[in-house]
Amino acid sequence: MAIVGPSGCGKSTILNMLGGLVTPSAGRIEIDGRPVTGVPPGVGYVFQKDTVFPWRTVRRNIALGLEYRGVRGAEQERRVAEAIRLAGLEGFEDAFPATLSGGMRQRVALMRTLVVDPEILLMDEPFGALDTHTKLELHGELLRLWDAKRQTVVFITHDLSEAITLADRIVVMTRRPGRVKMIHDVKLPRPRDVIRMRETDEYAAQYGQIWHVLGEEYRGP
Amino acid sequence: MSREGRRVLAWQVGILVVLLGAWEWLTGIKAVARMPGLYWIDPFFISRPSAIAERFVHLMSGEVRLTLGAMALSTIQSTLCGFVVGVSTGFVAGLVLGRNDGLARICGPYIVAFNSLPRIALVPLVTMIFGFGLLAKIVLAWTIVFFIVFFNTFQGARSVDPDLIHSARFLGAGERQIMRTVVIPSALAWTFASLTPSISFALIGVVVGEFLGGESGGGLGYLIIQSLGTLNAADMMVALLTLGVIGIVMALGIRQVEMRLLRWRPEYRSRT
Repeated sequence: MAIVGPSGCGKSTILNMLGGLVTPSAGRIEIDGRPVTGVPPGVGYVFQKDTVFPWRTVRRNIALGLEYRGVRGAEQERRVAEAIRLAGLEGFEDAFPATLSGGMRQRVALMRTLVVDPEILLMDEPFGALDTHTKLELHGELLRLWDAKRQTVVFITHDLSEAITLADRIVVMTRRPGRVKMIHDVKLPRPRDVIRMRETDEYAAQYGQIWHVLGEEYRGP
Repeated sequence: MSREGRRVLAWQVGILVVLLGAWEWLTGIKAVARMPGLYWIDPFFISRPSAIAERFVHLMSGEVRLTLGAMALSTIQSTLCGFVVGVSTGFVAGLVLGRNDGLARICGPYIVAFNSLPRIALVPLVTMIFGFGLLAKIVLAWTIVFFIVFFNTFQGARSVDPDLIHSARFLGAGERQIMRTVVIPSALAWTFASLTPSISFALIGVVVGEFLGGESGGGLGYLIIQSLGTLNAADMMVALLTLGVIGIVMALGIRQVEMRLLRWRPEYRSRT
């Protein structure tokens, strides 16, 4: 599921409430019937900002979640190596983040989150700071990784094409004060080819429908 | 060594030779020919390299009761002790107060008040309590080093990026794990910035302690005060030069440790 809307409408706030970082002023958040108080277990979070630990190598960044859970030794090594392979980061295992590009750092952040198999993945504009090319690459990878595990993903973005590329369902929010304006089911087949799908008429039709609604919010009163 | 490095070294050695040569030469010119005791620049006050070298050999030899080596050792020992104790206590206190707002607010005024005391004013009190020996010197060095390291670590612990803490929490970290894997590494960069000034200040604390400490405290500070008593500029220069060498060696040592522990920072990697 992707949430789109103008900046300041509260997209990130929704995500932070889901992640237990912000307490809702009214109402309550439940995950599988359990109310959220504090950071819930089984939830992974990928920030827009670079949150890779600069003092740890790629390998030890990805190992963090396993380390916290007490997964050590050969088991830890195996899972980290697998994640590094999936992210195409072979050869950079012992590099410090300062030597990597923004796209590679975000890959590390993504794999660091996925390596502990979260049931729910919260992503707050994770590719917002990347250039178009890198972004497309990571879209492809995310779709591929997701296809294997099929976790629930809540993805915040202000980029409509990104939302359509990735999501099954798109929530459009209004300008501040943010409300849900529309929930749209993306009827595009999977697996998706991030490049080719954009040339299809279905894609253009979906884009047009949502843009018609979202555009009003950008236009102002 | 690179070409650039060799050129820098050549200049450094050249400047040293010129300075020492000028010093030796200028203090040898008499104001009035064949009149003893009247110099343009009087070696009585600033001595001369040849005289200093002579005293250096003499002070190193076994002919004196307290050799230069023994005095230097005493100074180094107290400096390192004061430094280690000051850094470790300052670091822990900085972390604890840095991560605990309530406690920081309560302790804040006391720390600022104590830190604004000129440390030299404490020397008589410390001497009264801890005597003239090693312990007093260590305590003096500690009173300075503690605060430098404390304030830096405190800032470092406060400025830890909250998103790094959040991401650790999402990865399943408990409070202690957050401390160990996020707060401490992040604060360390700040702490290290305070170590080079800390070792110099530790040396200051120790030498001031030795001024008052007398022979039982030993050390190069004692040699300086003793030379003042005998108006012996050459001995004083020996002590000062030795202090300078000790200061440089200690600062280089810290730099090595720093480069090793902070090798994740780009500005350190390029220089290895």
